[in-house]
Amino acid sequence: MFKSLLLKGRTLSLLLCCLVSSLVVTAQTKHTGKVIGADDKLPVVGASVRIKGTNTGAVTDVNGDFTLALSPGNVLVVSYIGYVTQEVTVRSGDFITISLEPSASTLNEVVVTGYQTQLKKDIVGSVATVDVGDAKKVAATSSEQLLQGQAAGVTVVNNGAPGSPSNIYIRGLGNFSNTTPLYVVDGVQVSDMSLVNPNDIESISVLKDAGSAAIYGVAGGNGVVVVTTKRGKAGKTTISYDGFYGDQQPLSGNVFDIMTPADQSIEAFRANDVATEGLYLNPSGVPTAGYIPTYGYHGATAYTGTDGTNFGVAGVTSNPEILGAYHFDANVPGNDFLVQQFATGSGTDWYHSVFKNAPEEQHTITASGGTDKSTFLYSLNYINQTGTLLSNYEKRYQARVNTNFSVGHVRFGETGDATYRENIGGYPGDEQQEAGIISYTYREMPIIPIYDVSGVNYGGGYDGPTGEPLGNGSNPYAQAIRNEQNHARFVYVEGNVFAEADIAKYFTARMAFGGRLYNQYYNDINPTTYEDYESHANPNEIDEHEQLFTNYNWTNTINYKETFGKHNVNVIAGYEQRYSTGRELNAYNTGLFSLDPAYAQIGYGTPSQAPTSTNEQPVAIESFFGKLDYSYNDRYILTATVRRDGISTLYPGKQWGTFPSIGVAWRISQEDFMKGISWINDLKLRGSYGVAGYSANVPATNPYSLYASGPGASYYGINGGNSSITQGFYNSTLGNPNTTWEQDKTTNVAIDAALFNHFDLTAEWYKKESSGLLFGATLPATLGGAQPPVVNIGDVVNKGLDISLSYHDRISQDVTFSIGANITTYKNDIVKETGVSNFFDTASNRDNDIVRDEVGHPIGEFFGYQVTGIYQNASQVSSLPGYAGAAPGSFIYKDVDGDGQITPNDRTFIGNPNPNFTYGVNLNATFKQFDFSMVLYGSQGNKDYNYTEYWTDFYSTFQGGKSLRMFNDAAIVSNGVVTNPNATLSASSFAQALGSSTTSSYYVQDGSFLKCRVLQVGYSLSPSVLKTIGISKLHIYAQVTNLFTITKYTGQDPELVSSIDNNGGGAPLGIDYGAYPANQRAFIFGANVTF
Amino acid sequence: MKKSYGKFIALVALVALTLTYSCKKLLNQEVTGNLSGAVLANKAGLDGLLIGAYSMLDGYTNTSGTEWEAGIDNWIYGGVGADDAFKGSNTTDQPTAAPIENHTLDPSNEYISEKWVAFYNAVQRANDVIREVPLIKDGSVSASYGAEAIAEAQFLRGVFHFELAKFFRNVPYVNETITYGAGNYNVPNPGPIWSSIEGDFKSAMAVLPKTQSDIGRANYYAAEAFLARAYLWDHQYATALPLLTDCISNGETAGGAKYALWANYENNYDASFKNGPESVFAVQMTVNDGSNGARDDPGEGLNFPAGDYTSCCGFYQPSYTLANAFQVDENGLPMLGSTSMTVQDYTGSNTTTAPVTANIPNSSITNLPNDHGLTAANEFTPPTNALDPRIDWTLGRRGIPYRDWGICGGEQWSRGDLCPYNPIKNVFNEAQQASTADNNGGWATNQGTSDNYNMITVADLYLYRAECEVEGNMLSNAMADVNVVRARMQNPAGWVHTYVDNSNPAAGFTTTPAANYQIGLYSSFASQSYAREAVHMEEQLEFGMEGHRFFDLQRWDPLYGGPEAAQYMANVINGHIAAVTRIANPVLDGHTFTAGKNELYPIPLGQIDLEAGQLKQNPNY
Repeated sequence: MFKSLLLKGRTLSLLLCCLVSSLVVTAQTKHTGKVIGADDKLPVVGASVRIKGTNTGAVTDVNGDFTLALSPGNVLVVSYIGYVTQEVTVRSGDFITISLEPSASTLNEVVVTGYQTQLKKDIVGSVATVDVGDAKKVAATSSEQLLQGQAAGVTVVNNGAPGSPSNIYIRGLGNFSNTTPLYVVDGVQVSDMSLVNPNDIESISVLKDAGSAAIYGVAGGNGVVVVTTKRGKAGKTTISYDGFYGDQQPLSGNVFDIMTPADQSIEAFRANDVATEGLYLNPSGVPTAGYIPTYGYHGATAYTGTDGTNFGVAGVTSNPEILGAYHFDANVPGNDFLVQQFATGSGTDWYHSVFKNAPEEQHTITASGGTDKSTFLYSLNYINQTGTLLSNYEKRYQARVNTNFSVGHVRFGETGDATYRENIGGYPGDEQQEAGIISYTYREMPIIPIYDVSGVNYGGGYDGPTGEPLGNGSNPYAQAIRNEQNHARFVYVEGNVFAEADIAKYFTARMAFGGRLYNQYYNDINPTTYEDYESHANPNEIDEHEQLFTNYNWTNTINYKETFGKHNVNVIAGYEQRYSTGRELNAYNTGLFSLDPAYAQIGYGTPSQAPTSTNEQPVAIESFFGKLDYSYNDRYILTATVRRDGISTLYPGKQWGTFPSIGVAWRISQEDFMKGISWINDLKLRGSYGVAGYSANVPATNPYSLYASGPGASYYGINGGNSSITQGFYNSTLGNPNTTWEQDKTTNVAIDAALFNHFDLTAEWYKKESSGLLFGATLPATLGGAQPPVVNIGDVVNKGLDISLSYHDRISQDVTFSIGANITTYKNDIVKETGVSNFFDTASNRDNDIVRDEVGHPIGEFFGYQVTGIYQNASQVSSLPGYAGAAPGSFIYKDVDGDGQITPNDRTFIGNPNPNFTYGVNLNATFKQFDFSMVLYGSQGNKDYNYTEYWTDFYSTFQGGKSLRMFNDAAIVSNGVVTNPNATLSASSFAQALGSSTTSSYYVQDGSFLKCRVLQVGYSLSPSVLKTIGISKLHIYAQVTNLFTITKYTGQDPELVSSIDNNGGGAPLGIDYGAYPANQRAFIFGANVTF
Repeated sequence: MKKSYGKFIALVALVALTLTYSCKKLLNQEVTGNLSGAVLANKAGLDGLLIGAYSMLDGYTNTSGTEWEAGIDNWIYGGVGADDAFKGSNTTDQPTAAPIENHTLDPSNEYISEKWVAFYNAVQRANDVIREVPLIKDGSVSASYGAEAIAEAQFLRGVFHFELAKFFRNVPYVNETITYGAGNYNVPNPGPIWSSIEGDFKSAMAVLPKTQSDIGRANYYAAEAFLARAYLWDHQYATALPLLTDCISNGETAGGAKYALWANYENNYDASFKNGPESVFAVQMTVNDGSNGARDDPGEGLNFPAGDYTSCCGFYQPSYTLANAFQVDENGLPMLGSTSMTVQDYTGSNTTTAPVTANIPNSSITNLPNDHGLTAANEFTPPTNALDPRIDWTLGRRGIPYRDWGICGGEQWSRGDLCPYNPIKNVFNEAQQASTADNNGGWATNQGTSDNYNMITVADLYLYRAECEVEGNMLSNAMADVNVVRARMQNPAGWVHTYVDNSNPAAGFTTTPAANYQIGLYSSFASQSYAREAVHMEEQLEFGMEGHRFFDLQRWDPLYGGPEAAQYMANVINGHIAAVTRIANPVLDGHTFTAGKNELYPIPLGQIDLEAGQLKQNPNY
């Protein structure tokens, strides 16, 4: 398809050039010649053949032939877009064949943009194309990951959990909540591209500015990622296989720097924690720092050993008599008497109890082919990525059918896939939350063993003294094993059918109907966590959830395309409808006799709450759009678009908006005065300005005040009974009829250059002014408990540079190489907020918010106290600005407002999570049949907030695993004086949150990093060898992913996905809640075979 | 060519037709899965909105999962924030509750924010009722029916504002004119709003009937009692007095029962006796109702012993100060007056002890012996000190029957920073577990009950009236009212008794008192100040662990008009802290209650920010 477009381009150029050349060619001695491409040996149509130093020349015809009057000694300059310009000296009157080497310049790429394809040289707006070949070198279960580091202006933050989505920001963090770009997969507007099989992808282009994205109107404001899948090609049917198998390795070492059980006992004494000191009893029953007793036990009734020792109900002992009391009752945990043997030495390595080496594999078989009347492509894809975290996986089976048919003036076809997907219950990436498995790897104390003395039942906080000195964490290994019973299963059917007809001369009409049907089922099984102190006897629980969502896109376009002399006109006009809706059903039950998955179902227990269902409010969008592309003489290009959208999520009267854009470009290199500059192959200046919108952050019912009803929220036992409640209603949401879409005005100025035949450069400067950003109003409590409406809360400006460079060369017959690099910068600035105050706080931790979005600052900046030191003694406490609870060993905070005391007004901005720049580098080289490639990705200047330290670095937070930083760097207070003046951390004590664990600069670190995402070596077998066994191509490779991560960050991975916060809600960038690391190493072997 | 143009025209026509049809319909989607305001403009809608307002009485909101921060029982604010109890659990559990216990609260604390948010949510639900009545045009609601709905809503609005005024004193008064559409929601807090609260109760009284079809609804007397209570906080004792007398003499419950004290004190804390004659107004609690524990006194979901029959969460451990207050003299009367007391200080380690002396008003002379520091294996015999019998209905002590659950394990049943006493008033009986208990939120096993939370009881009316009589210098009347409350406890049938069989509590109780209970009546109130201490102490004893203490100390303090001596509240609480520091809870170590500041809770910082300067912070925060 692209080749045919390219041919059309060549024909067009031929026509143009004929017009030009007919004026200048004069008859001398006729010579004829032919220009062919060195790559495909096909004629090059429309190549310019000029006699050097003159204005005399010719243009090749459809056969690549040209005729010129020449004299021997003349030097012919032969050029064509996309090929290296060649000079040939005429020696005699012979027929000359000139073979042009492809320049590999990107300027003649065919790029899929909004509702059309264009040659890159004709594009005026900011469109980044992703080299799919480079991008898919990184094994990804979620295809958004392909974009990381591959396109300037696109910032991608990955999560390591299999199947978990990434965060994508196109040209900076655009707003306060969802900034996901629009995805258009084969013409269908969708919310993600995660399920598209990388091997099926033909092209990915990213529309970054309003000049290119305004054609998507109210959906395009945060950029558009346009993905097309491969189609069959006329010719021989080919069958190919792409696949790999790999071994992923978890991070090694003491990942969270957890101290040993013995060190932790010393901390209990430093902290004067009397209740916990009782855990560390020596054989004489005396609390002793550094002493770990042998057993911990807890039961329903006191136990007396055969030697007459009364052990009581719970405690610690080194007396093995206690083993006689062990008793486990699966059905009545209240009868349990559990005993565990404590871990000594370095204690239980909880991290590696759940993080293990894990395999991943992916296989795709593709069959494609066709005739000039019809083509097909079938592909079957199987992905199985087991997480390095136990019980974590993503399995996917996908079948794709893409077909095209043409009958006379009519073409029709479809793209479509059906996908079945399975992973653990819950949302991929949930593990990082406060009660998630990853958080328990540092929250569960290392003194606790994985199994208790039975060897089959789990160890935990229950088996020990009362008063819970063993913390309230949970056994992460137990949780992981139990998670195996939690399944989420998805079925997706999606695609697009189209019909296209040349309805009149110059006119093509097209209609397409596409969408997605999506069904999800998941269940959660929660056994009695008998090993936990807090919920030892809780009844077991199951819940089941079913969801069905559908959406469609109906698109109608008419395209008019005509050339008048040097004028090229292309107009597209269209009408589009989008609609989405869905339903959910949720049910819960407790106290099941058995949790065997074959048995457990709703109905076999006691309902804990009534089943609920949700009817999703339908969202409808209706649109008219048009685009004009005009060029004159292939030098001056004008593009104008306009789209008018109506959205059901806004109030009538506010529903319709118009989104215009205009852009111009000047291909300077086509000008005659540039023709002599041979090192410039192509040079284009372009600029655009446009307005797009974004409405994804408006809930569907936002304009309307609504009332709801629920037993928990609004029922009441008005009649005084023990169990009867009467239905009540409450105002659940406040409506705002004035809300409108977010408006994104982008100015883009850019230069595209192809230089020295080997070097491509695109540099773009942009300014994106986003106004009326959509976010839930923060209203005072005086308005009650109704959910505030989403309002147009503020304005943000992003400015930045996107630069991409590539260099490619053939050093010798055997060696080629290319380097592609891109760099993305953005400066993000909140310029206005419409609420009563000029800020709002988000991103909760257990005590406080972490982020303040305030005018004059970037989005997502951390906000808290600035730590300036540690109070060394009582006189410092009284002389320096202080706060209630300040004591020797507490943090000293900066008195920002200078009022002599530390109050919440002294909180200040303590770190910006937005990077100064992110960059990607792709290196490719071939030597004979070997190929080598490396993908680097980096981020510079971003700050990370390591919230895991809330749990591990402070004694005043929950009992749990604590860090070596606490052991080595925390202030030690003796008689009211800090004895280690170099301490950087507040003393181990029950000093209150303000003096230790509250949001402060202590948690903020430099999150800059450079990752080697992939290092790959491959080998292609020679065709002559393969031919004998019926294979046309065989490439095998070995790669290492995440070979290294260079960073100063102390957490697992400085690259922090922002989607999940402490409570499972949305949070901004750069906060480490114990994220699933995306920098785990993997060793992969793979092959690509074509039959 | 002609044929092609035909296709073109057909296509254009198709698109045009579709557009004209779909434009309007497509973009104006009906609201699904929710009710619009118009649907509620009828009798059923009005009834439902009023129930929705009642459902806020327990402090459980549609916006929060942390109901223990906002519950009506005020365990943390009224009890832990004063001298009734310790936070309990581990020192590090609920870290944002600790500053309430040790008075280092700063205005950004999430607990107070939650309370504020929940009760203004409640206020607006009451306002929703008042706003809805005039919108009902379908004839289903008569003028009198509408007026009564408004009266109930005004009563609730008064209750909700009163709750906020107790905490923060200077709070915005939000009536039905405050709406998002009107944009007038930055309501200032120039000072106390007693007169507005009183106005709501007066309006409610004017319309409310004396009996109601549902026992949970407010009636005339509930409004009168709340009006009197508001006057008490407003220090208008003379105005409150006749209202209280009317209530005591003529009052009846919404079910028509004449107001009276139960013969047995503990009936007030037993779901099977709820809504009895002593209940002036109570928050109705229900279990096993499909709400997943949202209606089962969720504010107290954490406040069960962590020991035996539940496994969580060990908060709200009764204090030594409260236990000590139950000690009586040879006449069975409380030990009034400010005395020194000596207690053991377990500084540094629980094996080294040193005595510490503290001035503790209204408390006893020596620390009531308890099982602190003992293990389950150690022997412990409950003390034989003479005690007010209410002690063992107020706190669980080792060696004493803990309702019908068995002999209380004392410190073995508590959690974390070990304290020998356990909460009991909010705990249900084992025999009634199936009908009066459920799992709070599906996680806290057996930690929800259908026992009501009593907002005002008849005993309150007597003691409130006694306060008015003391301040009006009618000392003998005051003594008579205090003695009414005490006399009920003289009946040994209402005391805690030993089990027939300690190993089988279900076998029932003997008639032998479980401890040395003594309770006598006052024979004279020698002076106004003596009378005042007697009345105040009686309220401490009668309503211990009911979340009132902080607010009672606050209104008795002269800072905002109370009758006690200067810095009364600070002295009481600092005495309590001095006495228990390092015994029970390291959270209290080194902290003090600051007079002139800590009597009020700070206005939540977030709300001050949101109201753009309209809200003023309380003094010294």
